Amino acid sequence: MTWFADIYFVFWREMKRYFAHKTRIVTAVFQPLVWLVLLGSAMSGMVGGSMAKDLSEAENYLQFMTPGIMVMTALFSGMFSGNSLIWDRRIGFLNKMLAAPISRTTIPTGKVAAAAIQSMIQMVIIAAIATALGVRFTSGPLGLVLMVLIAGLFCCGISAISLSFAVFIKTPEGLHPILNFLSMPLLFTSNAIFPRAFMPGWLQGISAVNPMTYAVTPMRVLALEGWRWESVMPGLVFTLFFAAAACYLLSWVFGQHIR
Amino acid sequence: MENMIQVVHLTKIYSGQVMAVRDVSFSVGEGETFGLLGPNGAGKTTIIMILTTLLKPTSGTARVAGIDVRENPYGVRLKLGYVSQDLAVDDNLTGWDNLYLQANFYHLPKNIIKKKCAEVLRLVGLEKRADDLVETYSGGMRKRLDLAAGLLHEPRALFLDEPTLGLDVQTRQQIWKYIEFLRSEKKMTVLLTTHYMEEAEKLCDRAAIIDRGEIKAIDAPDRLKEAIGGDLITISFSPGEEEKQEKALKAIEELPFVNGIESRQKNYVLLVKNSEKAIPSLFQVLNETGVKVENLNLKKPTLADVYLHFTGQELRDESWSKEQAIKSAAMRKRIRG
Ligand SMILES: Nc1ncnc2c1ncn2[C@@H]1O[C@H](COP(=O)(O)OP(=O)(O)O)[C@@H](O)[C@H]1O
Ligand SMILES: [Mg+2]
Repeated sequence: MTWFADIYFVFWREMKRYFAHKTRIVTAVFQPLVWLVLLGSAMSGMVGGSMAKDLSEAENYLQFMTPGIMVMTALFSGMFSGNSLIWDRRIGFLNKMLAAPISRTTIPTGKVAAAAIQSMIQMVIIAAIATALGVRFTSGPLGLVLMVLIAGLFCCGISAISLSFAVFIKTPEGLHPILNFLSMPLLFTSNAIFPRAFMPGWLQGISAVNPMTYAVTPMRVLALEGWRWESVMPGLVFTLFFAAAACYLLSWVFGQHIR
Repeated sequence: MENMIQVVHLTKIYSGQVMAVRDVSFSVGEGETFGLLGPNGAGKTTIIMILTTLLKPTSGTARVAGIDVRENPYGVRLKLGYVSQDLAVDDNLTGWDNLYLQANFYHLPKNIIKKKCAEVLRLVGLEKRADDLVETYSGGMRKRLDLAAGLLHEPRALFLDEPTLGLDVQTRQQIWKYIEFLRSEKKMTVLLTTHYMEEAEKLCDRAAIIDRGEIKAIDAPDRLKEAIGGDLITISFSPGEEEKQEKALKAIEELPFVNGIESRQKNYVLLVKNSEKAIPSLFQVLNETGVKVENLNLKKPTLADVYLHFTGQELRDESWSKEQAIKSAAMRKRIRG
């Protein structure tokens, strides 16, 4: 059982670091909020409330956007987590952990868990602010919990991918372009911000294979339509598999290349 | 005495081309403080990283507490403490949290963690700053915290990579005090690397002189100094008079008690047996050639001289410029004739 204890302490460290700098949490929440409020309002005005309702069954665009923005938060937190490995390597902390009698796999696992929990904290804050702005979640508080869990799982997957890159890439300057190169297409070819109905056919095709879409869809069902399990399940299961596959990849890469 | 650390024919080649460690063998007895002394790039860190299971050797074997680093790295990790040359403390945690984390990584029993953390904090004099974020610490405080983290679980073998690199004199002396405490009170086996002579001289029971991945000599610092075969007399001539100087040097070289002669910058260093008795005859020779001596100085050898003797190079922080290196090689050649 020391394996779980070791993961816990890797996780504990990441969380301590997270809470040591509260301003970072504020900025991490602020950016998605700007997207939500500005883009949400602009799109509502542009497409008109009724059209948005037709296309997405949402009362207004803000309600439609909130789940998407939550997944976007998960995307950015997850992408960012590779940095912590690069930083640990640079300051020698990685070697310090590797010289300790803890299993190798506990290090990436603890980091993935911390990225997910951090993104979930940010999502709860965003959901609270969205509620204050008048957004209602049709499936109620429990539905919101499940939404946060789905986005958290998605964050695990993205974090594992980011950390896998960080195993090979030794500098932040090297990692950031790759992460940007991945995040933007993932975001804009998903249905996080624009309803798939708005997209041209080729983009709908890409969107259908984008893992982000599979996280957004069940969350949006929970937010707008309520507990329709038959629509929630496929996305939930897919996201679970996505996270598991990415974590498996990470533990393999880590085991192979970090002695 | 049982060997705590044993290294046999160890070789490490990085990416198939850089031979950082070349057929190195040594052993460190239980309770001994052993130093690897050499300049930057000598391969000291590579050896420590192999012993702490962070790197795999290309060939050869290494054992810590009788356990082979390749066969059972986890077993080795249970025995060792490691303080790297990188100041590996987490700036975003408090001093206390850094130690608490380390204590849990080493699976100290829950009921003693607080006591042990407080104990090592007191040892390194950081108890008052324990609850501050490490980012507010000075370099010396970070190093002390890092050292405290390495001691927390009272490892059987402690590896210290350049423990006083870049520290001010006061902090360096404090750290020396802790290391001496570990030997005398805790009977810990310590392997440290350094490129500071005084450090090896002050702390180590035995030291290995390492240069470009090879060990040139291993012994107690005093014995190493004896091994170079005499005291050192440094002569500097007045400028000009090149011819007279050459003649004087030739004559000096022929004196029976002179074991060697070398140029260092503008000076000539003689390796001399029974130096007190030899000085009069030396003066006589100098007088006969009529060369003007600006300065003459006699001293007992230090480890720095031992280093120079075994490697043919000065031990320095930075490497020399290419120009300097060529010049000094040319000088030496001239003198040896
Ligand atoms: N990861 C690496 N890849 C290639 N060469 C390396 C690597 N690490 C160290 N070296 C080389 O190995 C030699 C020994 O390095 P190191 O063990 O760090 O020496 P020291 O600690 O004595 O300064 C140096 O020439 C260094 O450039
Ligand atoms: Mg080094």
